[in-house]
Amino acid sequence: MKISETDVEYVAKLANLEVHKDEKKELAQQLSRIVEHVEQLSTLDVSAVAPTYQVVSNTKIAIREDRVQLRTGSSEAGKTVKLFKVPKVITER
Amino acid sequence: MNLKNITADRLVSLYANRDLSVTEVITSVFDEIDRSDGNIRAFITLCRERALEEARRTDSRIAAEEPLSALTGVPVAIKDNMNLRDIPTTCGSKMLANYVPPYTATAVERLRSAGAIIIGKTNMDEFAMGSSTENSSFFATRNPHDLERVPGGSSGGSAASVAAGMSVVALGSDTGGSIRQPASFCGVVGMKPTYGRVSRYGLVAYASSLDQIGPFTKSVRECAQVLETMCGFDHYDSTSADTPVDSFVKILDQPMKDIRIGIPREYFIEGMDPEVKANVQSAIRRYETMGCKIEEISLPHTEHAVATYYLIATAEASSNLARYDGVRYGLRETGTGGLAEMYRKTRMTGFGKEVKRRILLGTYALSAGYYDAYYLKALKVRTLILQDFQKAFEKVNIILTPTTPTPAFKIGEKTADPLSMYLSDIFTITCNLSGLPGISVPCGKTSANLPVGMQLIANHFQESLLLQVAHNFEKAGGFGNVSQ
Repeated sequence: MKISETDVEYVAKLANLEVHKDEKKELAQQLSRIVEHVEQLSTLDVSAVAPTYQVVSNTKIAIREDRVQLRTGSSEAGKTVKLFKVPKVITER
Repeated sequence: MNLKNITADRLVSLYANRDLSVTEVITSVFDEIDRSDGNIRAFITLCRERALEEARRTDSRIAAEEPLSALTGVPVAIKDNMNLRDIPTTCGSKMLANYVPPYTATAVERLRSAGAIIIGKTNMDEFAMGSSTENSSFFATRNPHDLERVPGGSSGGSAASVAAGMSVVALGSDTGGSIRQPASFCGVVGMKPTYGRVSRYGLVAYASSLDQIGPFTKSVRECAQVLETMCGFDHYDSTSADTPVDSFVKILDQPMKDIRIGIPREYFIEGMDPEVKANVQSAIRRYETMGCKIEEISLPHTEHAVATYYLIATAEASSNLARYDGVRYGLRETGTGGLAEMYRKTRMTGFGKEVKRRILLGTYALSAGYYDAYYLKALKVRTLILQDFQKAFEKVNIILTPTTPTPAFKIGEKTADPLSMYLSDIFTITCNLSGLPGISVPCGKTSANLPVGMQLIANHFQESLLLQVAHNFEKAGGFGNVSQ
C-alpha cells in the first residue's frame, strides 16, 4: 500500500482534521488507489516545461489604485454596523 | 401551465403581450415543485414568499408599461454555493448549514438586475466535490428521466430543476465538469464559459483557478441570453477578465461560415457506451451535412487529465477550505482542549467523507517531499494539456466530443470507489485545466430513454462562435430523439 494509516494520520494533522479510527484504514486504501493513478504523471518528462498556475491573464484588478472603497458590492454590512460580534475563541486553560 | 416546454424568451414575450402574468408563472413554478420535488429533491431552500412578492411587483411594473428586460419575470434556480443575500448558502455541507451571507454574488445580482426572479437554492455535492449529487450532506437528488439514476454533479439540483420544469433557468458552477456532465445526464443545455468571463465574487471557492459559473437552460438561445447578462469585468474578482462581451444572442442566427470541427481521437475510448458513441457520431454527420468541415485531431495528453486535475483541484481545495475552522463561518464544535481542538472537532463534524478525502489528498500533494513530485508536476502537465488545445485550434475552430463516456449511472453505483467516480469526468476536465469555454447540448437518447450530450469546445473568449455552432445544431432538429 502506497499510503499507510500513519501517513493518513500525519496528513490529517497538517490539515487540522480529526479522522476516526475506523475511517483510517478505508482512507489509506482509497488514497493509495488515487495516488497510484496520479503516479502515471511520472512517466512524462516535463523538465523543460513551465508550470501553469492561471490560464487567462488579461486581468487588470491586480494593480487597482490604492483608494478607500466600500468593501463589498451589494453588501449592506459595512454600512449598517461598525463592529461584528464574534464568539470567544481563546479560552483559559 | 407546463414549464417543461416553455423557454425564457417565450415567457418574456408572453408577459409583453399580457398573455400571462409573472405571478401566474411563479405560482405555477412552486406548484410544480410541490408536486415533483418530493421525488426529485432538487432544492435545499425555496424562496417562495420573496419570489412571489417580486412577481407581484414585476406585474405592477408591466401594468405601468415599464419596459421589459431580457429576463423579466424568468424563474431562476441557483446552486447553493452562490450567495443570495439573507438566504442560507449551505454548499451542501453541514459546515455551512446555518451560514447566511450578507451580500449577493455578482453573477446572481446581474441576473436580478435584468429582471430574473430567484426561486430557490439547489442541491449539490458538498463544496461541489462530486459527480452525482450523492455527496450532499442533506440528501441525494434524483434524475427526472429515471428516478433510480443520478442527475450528475456537482450541480445536479440545478440540472434536474430545469429538466423537470421546476425552474426555467438555473445556475451552476463548473470546476471539472460540474455543469456540463449533469446537463448531459439530464438532457438540458449547460455551459462553462472561458475562465475569467463570469465573476466568481460570491461563489464559494472550491478550486479557484478552475471554478466558473454558468447556466443550465433548455435551449441555446436562453443560454446565450443568460451568459450575455452575467459575463463581464467585475472588480470584486481578481481573476475577472477585462475583455469586451459581444452580444451572444445577436450572432446566433447568422449562417455558419468556415466552421472546421475537430474530433479528438483520444475522446472515443474503450469502455465507452456504444449508444453514446452512436449518438455523438450521428451529430458529427449532421454537422457535415450542414457544410462544416470535419477533421480528426489529436490531444495526446488527454489520458493524464484526470490525474492532473485531481492533484491541482485538491491542492487548491485544501487551501480554500482551511478557512472553515469554526471561527469565521458556520458550524462550531467546542471541546475542553482549547482552540486547536475546536478547529479539529469542527472540521471533523462539519465535513463529509469526500471533502475530507480531497483535503487529505491535496494536503498530501502539497506537503514537504511531495510538492515537486505531485503538485508542481501536475501544473507542468497542465501546460502540456493547454498546448495540445493551442495546437488543435491552429487547424480547427471547434472541437466536438461526447460530454461523458456513459449516460446517467445508477444511484450508489460509484460511491464505494472514488476513483471510478473521478473517471466519469474524463471528457470535461480538460476545459477547466485549459480555461476554455465548453457547452454540453443534448444530441439524442439511448434505447432506455436516457439523454446523451455532446460537448463543443472553442478557443478562449470564443463564446459567440461556440453558441452559434451549438444553436445551428439545435435548429437542424438536434435536440430530438435519435435512439437506436
